[in-house]
Formats: sequence, C-alpha cells, structure tokens
Amino acid sequence: MNILLCCAAGMSTSLLVTKMEAYAKEQGLDCKIWAVSANEVNNHVDDADVLLLGPQVRYLLPKMKKIGEEKGIPVDLINSVHYGLIKGDEVVKFARSLIVS
Amino acid sequence: MSKVNVFLEEKVMPVAGKIAAQRHLQALRDGIILAMPLIIIGSLFLILGFLPIPGYNEWMASIFGELWLTKLTYPVTATFDIMALVATFGIAYRLAEHYKVDPLSAGAISLSAFVLATPYFTMFTPAGTEAAIEVTGVLPIALLGSKGLFVGILIALLSTEIFRYIIKKGLVIKMPDGVPPSVSKSFIALFPAAIVIIVVWLLRLIIEMTPFESLHNIVGQLLQEPLSVFGTTLIGAIVYVLLVHLLWVCGLHGAAIIGGIMGPIMLAATDENRLALQAGTEIPNIVNMQFFEIFIHMGGSGATLMFAIMMLIFAKSQQSKQLGKLAIGPGIFNINEPIVFGAPIVMNPILMIPFILAPVVMAISTFVFMQIGFAPKATGIAVPWTTPPIIGGLLATGGDWRGGMMQAINLVIAFAIYYPFFKVWDKQNLQLEKGTEDDKTSE
Repeated sequence: MNILLCCAAGMSTSLLVTKMEAYAKEQGLDCKIWAVSANEVNNHVDDADVLLLGPQVRYLLPKMKKIGEEKGIPVDLINSVHYGLIKGDEVVKFARSLIVS
Repeated sequence: MSKVNVFLEEKVMPVAGKIAAQRHLQALRDGIILAMPLIIIGSLFLILGFLPIPGYNEWMASIFGELWLTKLTYPVTATFDIMALVATFGIAYRLAEHYKVDPLSAGAISLSAFVLATPYFTMFTPAGTEAAIEVTGVLPIALLGSKGLFVGILIALLSTEIFRYIIKKGLVIKMPDGVPPSVSKSFIALFPAAIVIIVVWLLRLIIEMTPFESLHNIVGQLLQEPLSVFGTTLIGAIVYVLLVHLLWVCGLHGAAIIGGIMGPIMLAATDENRLALQAGTEIPNIVNMQFFEIFIHMGGSGATLMFAIMMLIFAKSQQSKQLGKLAIGPGIFNINEPIVFGAPIVMNPILMIPFILAPVVMAISTFVFMQIGFAPKATGIAVPWTTPPIIGGLLATGGDWRGGMMQAINLVIAFAIYYPFFKVWDKQNLQLEKGTEDDKTSE
C-alpha cells in the first residue's frame, strides 16, 4: 500500500509520515508513505495507491481529484483534527478505508 | 457558529480558494520557487562578504587580496542576478505542465522570448569622460534580476498561453511514426515557438518606437513601481499580514495563497536591499520577504512559537500539554500546522484573535523599530523560512545582534498578546476534561 501525502511545501505532512510509518510497522502493514509539495504531485502520483491532502491546501482538491481520476486512485482530504494532532494511526486507517472502498 | 465564523466560511473561503487555485497565480508561485534555492545559496556568500565585525574587511584583504569581495560575490551574481531568467523558465514550465503541453519546450521558448524583450545594450561612462557611450552585444545583468522579474512573469505567461493555444489548435508539424519521441517533440514546438518569437519581436519593435523604449520601462513604470510603493509601506505590510492570517483562520495556507500575488514584489524588495548592501549604500526597504518570514512568522504564521511554549510550561489541561509537546519541535523551525489544526485555531472564536492580532502588532513594532534605526533592516540576505528565531534575525541582518534582539522583542509582544487567550482556552480544555458542562462560559 503506497500512501502519498501532499501539502504546500511538504513540510508539515512529513511530520505525519513519521507517525504513520510507526503505526503501520506496529500493525505489520507493508506501507510506503511519503510527503511531497503540491507542485511535485504529478511526478509521484504514479507510485501511489492513494493521495491525501493536508487541510490547508484543500483548495487544490478539485485539481488533485482530477489527477486521481486519471490514475484511478482515490484522493481525499485529511481530517483537520487528525492532522493537527498528528494522529498517524487514524490517517493510515482512513487511507486504507479509501483504498478498500 | 458565531457570526464571524459564518462570514469566514461563506465569504472568505470560496474567494480564497478560487484565487489560490487560479492557474496563472499557481504557476507564478510554483515557478518562482525554482529561484529560491539559488538565492539562498547566494545569500551564504553575501553573509560571508558583509560580516559586521570591525577589522574583518582588512583581515580578509590581507589574506585574499584587495579584490576579495568582488571574487567572493561572483556566485551572488550567478544566483540573485539571474532571478528573472530562472523564474521565467519556472513559471512557463509550471503553467505548461498545468495545460499538459510539453513543459520543457514551453520553458525554453519563454526564456528566449524574455531575452528578446530585453535591450541588448547598456550605457557606460568610461573613466575620465562625461558622455555615456552605448555598449552593444551585452545583456544588462540588472534586467535579468529583480528588475526583470515582472517582465519575466508577463513573458512567461504570455508565451505559454500562445504556445498552448497553437498546440490545441493542432497547428503543429507532425512527424511520421518511427521518429523518436524527443525528436518529434521538438518539431511540435517549432511552429508555436516561431509564433511566440514573432509576437514578442513585433512587441519590441513597436515599444522601441515609443518614449518607453523597452518593455522593462513600461512594466516598471506602470506595474512594478505602484505595486511596490504600496507593498513596502506599513499599511501594505499590515494588509498583507491581515490577509494571510484571515486565510489561515479559515484553515487555508495564507502565505502560499497571497504569495502568488505579493511574492514577486517582496522578492524584488529583498533584492533591492541586497544590491544596496553590495554597493555600500543605505538599505532601502523595511518591508521585504524577510520582514514577514523572519521577524513576524516566528513559529509559523500567527507567531505561534510563544503559544507553543505556553502550552508546554503553563498548561493545566492534559490536551493543552500534549499539544505543546507535539508542536514545539516543528514550531522551532516555524512549522505550526499541529497548532493551527490541533488547538485548533481554525474557526476558533477565542484563539483566532491573538493569531491575527499578534502578527499585526509585531509588523507595526518591527516597522517602527527599523524606521527609527533601533533595529537593522533585513539586508537582502535570503534566510530559509525554516531558520529558528534569533538565529534567523541574526543572519537576515548580516550578523547584527540587534536583528536577533528585534525578534526577541517580538516574541515578548507575542507572549503578552497570546497569554490571556491561552488561559481562557486552557481553562476550557480543563473543564471539558473534568466533564463539567459549563465550558461555554467564556464566550
């Protein structure tokens, strides 16, 4: 399962990556999780099974959804409370639910 | 939801979202970023060249010779002074990427169009003479830097729009199958590129017949000057701070959104300061990119570093304490999404007040202190926005301790403004944790 995160500069999402990786490892999930800035998404989206956006760049959602549709992967916003409290476990669960459905 | 929240949600958010997603502004913002790493590298050399240590100049001259500063600042020219060239390519690239036409070709074409719009001569007054003579066969480097930035932006947008239009119309030379893709790509770009070059060429010929003489003069006088005059005043700075933080309160990345519009102006203001530093003249602009990134957004937008420290030290509720631990690490490097979304500050009637008020007051204090000469102006050294406070102020002012002191003063201001609101918020959290129902008393 490859989870791609994106925000304006890829900084705050990378905080989340560390927490998500820890949770995934704990659960024995085979995950690749990485964060990029919004303008790099195009170069990374081919490797992703799901694309999640930080809530502060939610204005990019329509654009990213379009990219997601072309690649056939789900795209959604990260819940802002989970984002702020850096709840890696919740975000991994959310990502899984998107991939499964 | 309070009236303020309804207003923000219904009026500010949709407009902000549209501005931020506007393709030209997005290309502008993302394209200019291409120049930023170079400018920061150039800044390292600037710092070394202008350390405010007594006797430093003489000491360097004694080791490396009289021309040490000229030689040390070679890389500065190759980074700062080609800002417009790099940005032109970057903006065209990003816009073409958005349109799904070949970005490399679009970048190369607008680079050529930008040079085509630039006068190929400069006026030079030889030593011992009065009259300036025209030197031909050169590209004036001043016009490739911040002075050419606005022309570069316009040319990049114009040429990429033409490029896209022609390709979408299908007016391209199609190569038969079997021709390697990279070859056929360059042929696809051939016709659109010719059109772009002809359009800009005609534009230059027409402008040369007018009193303006060059596109740079037109853009400078009609666009750049009025915009920078407003942008670099105290009022301009306050408007900028208000807009950025109003957007953040809505949960949107304010700096990234406003950056598309104000970024070029602030970058140009930074570069004017850099040129003054190198020339040894007075630093002109108080308000520039570092004014906001280094002196105001300490801990991130909203100057939340002190708020994070309060949570860590004074919090009584478990939630506030936890958030403090989570937020302090990134906060030192001016990243504060954990606070903005975790506290949360977004749509929070209590915390949004200091979040907006503190940076506004800090903008005023910084401006006034720099105006009266109590604190030094940022000298055009581009410090990365992730540099921790105090160090950031030192570096941005070329190693002047009063730059760090100005940041310390601003931290005290932020503390004073955040503290009462922090107390109310912490008390609310505590009451919630105790399970009491009357947690709404403070509204």
